[in-house]
Amino acid sequence: MTLLDFARGPAMFWAMTLMIIGIVWRLAGTVLLARRKDRSSPRGENRVAAGLRAVAMRSVPPHELEKSITFQHITGYAWHLGWFATFLFFAPHVPFLKSILGFGWPGLPNQAIVILAAITLAILLALLVRRMVHPVLKVISDFDDYLSSLVVCAPLVTGIVTYAHLFPDRHETMIALHILSVEALMVWLPLGKIFHCITALPLRFQIGATYARRGVKA
Amino acid sequence: MNATATAVEELAAFKKLAQGIAQLGRAAPPVDLSADERVARAKQVFIQKTDAQVALDLESCLHCGMCAEACHFYEGTGQGRYAPIHKLKLLRKVYRRELGPFRLVHRLLTRDLSVADLEQWQELVFDSCTECGRCDMICPVGVHLSRGVHITRQALAAAGLAPAELRALDAEQSRTGAIFGADVGVLRSALEAVRAQGITVPLDKPRAEYLVLTTAPDLLIYRSSLAATARIMNHLKFDWTFASNAFEAASSGALSGDEAAQKQATQRIVDAALACGAKYVIVPECGHAYPTLRWEGPNEVDRTFPFEVLAISELIGREIDSGRLRVKPVGAAKRVTFHDPCKLGRKGGVFDEPRKALAALGVELRETESRRATNYCCGGGAGVFLLERAAPLRAAAFRIKREQFDATGAQSVVTSCDSCRMTFAAGAEQTNWNVPVESLVKLVADHLATGEAT
Repeated sequence: MTLLDFARGPAMFWAMTLMIIGIVWRLAGTVLLARRKDRSSPRGENRVAAGLRAVAMRSVPPHELEKSITFQHITGYAWHLGWFATFLFFAPHVPFLKSILGFGWPGLPNQAIVILAAITLAILLALLVRRMVHPVLKVISDFDDYLSSLVVCAPLVTGIVTYAHLFPDRHETMIALHILSVEALMVWLPLGKIFHCITALPLRFQIGATYARRGVKA
Repeated sequence: MNATATAVEELAAFKKLAQGIAQLGRAAPPVDLSADERVARAKQVFIQKTDAQVALDLESCLHCGMCAEACHFYEGTGQGRYAPIHKLKLLRKVYRRELGPFRLVHRLLTRDLSVADLEQWQELVFDSCTECGRCDMICPVGVHLSRGVHITRQALAAAGLAPAELRALDAEQSRTGAIFGADVGVLRSALEAVRAQGITVPLDKPRAEYLVLTTAPDLLIYRSSLAATARIMNHLKFDWTFASNAFEAASSGALSGDEAAQKQATQRIVDAALACGAKYVIVPECGHAYPTLRWEGPNEVDRTFPFEVLAISELIGREIDSGRLRVKPVGAAKRVTFHDPCKLGRKGGVFDEPRKALAALGVELRETESRRATNYCCGGGAGVFLLERAAPLRAAAFRIKREQFDATGAQSVVTSCDSCRMTFAAGAEQTNWNVPVESLVKLVADHLATGEAT
């Protein structure tokens, strides 16, 4: 079995299995904890509507808050969009995704995607440097933050290197490493902070509904 | 008494109380707990308070640091350790090691909570956090940060590590039902002073529809607000009373995190309200007292209240809306800005009612850039104004607040919280800031329409 066979076969199977088990385990371990009953009388606002509002509006904070986080917001959205666009619309990815989902879509021109991936990687690296020097981020960052940065950057790095044929004699190995880097991300997803891709929207709903009980739009 | 004389008298009373507050810590009862006992007690609280909602908070943080950008203490000092999410680190540590889905791994890889951790976090959750909740509004995933800080306060309180000033208040309120020495004797003398102005003030009526609370700063400093409350209740011809066995609205336990003290203070009020058959309990201009009774009270005493809890500013807004409370216009020549006390606004939901009162008074309201749910805290909430060593932090927060006020060009600041007023008074004195800070209740009472009952 070649490295590429391993990456496409058992490694993919186990990465997928561990990711699904990990997500279910972590989610169950969180939401199955006891919930406290609130005996106060709510103000009467529609808490479901308030929760849904928070799901949408947390992405667009009021100006007086937004003005102090503009850089983080723009770069945060930019790299997420760039990363997912690269994942979903790079032409060689589309058949792979089609084989899993059963349907496909047109890819974008390879050169455009590579430029997008390079920009995304540059933003991620800039944010990583910022994490190491910013007075707040220095204090709050831990192993999870740096490993999560690494596993998010790795598919971009290996993908660009593979596409650019920087190691023409090892092209197959580079494809294998690219796939393995994605599998590392899948395994880490339920273990580290990338898990927010599962919890962020429910949590937005939760804070919106919690504050709405008191009559406050959050 | 004219307005200037009242202001001078109140300033003198404020300075006297401030001197007393500076000595408060000396009255704290000693805590005789070993390091192991402190850690065990703190862990017990962390575990007990972490339900599914808190767990979801702790599982979702991105470590983006945006919460710091909403915090006046970080903005005022630039110190990264004041980032709100950093203040939740001990809660998260205990959650991960004791409750979280990967606890077995975390127990192997991380060290346990220590008493040094708890001591280090005292400054972070007491001195440098007013639990104002502004950070809750900015978090991109919606982590309820101020709740986590409060749980940490409760854990530290259980470990005997609440600041001495707050422990002293807890002890006093548990013993006498009062704070700052404003006991029933002070209440009676303050009410007599109000009656001497020709204002009717009922005390200990056996039955009353409205049980009205007051608070030590109103009894010791802002007696004009106390009188104003009585004038408004009389104007509305309400069946109301103060109760000598439950008059203090403030809850030191809600500040220190001592839940037993908080429950005791709440129970005292609930018992008095039930005894007189009150349909409404009115909370004075005391910010934290409102959410403590209105939102946390039913959970503390484990029953839904058979009465409604209203902040006095909330009552005023409602009654202006109903047409029963009529005021004379002050006129648009008076330009004011309104400071939303965090605990009344962001933590209480009382935003519109005070503004309705200001609209009825016809003043020109000039809002600060950050207002309502994004308003900046005064810097002294949640007991921070009582902590001597937090003075530099309060000063840093006051600079931000002052800039917000000054940018409006308002002639005065109106608010509805004694703690905010005292924090602003201290900041004003230190920085020679001469914009008056007014009580909403007094402003309304001074402009009641004709036919006012006394």
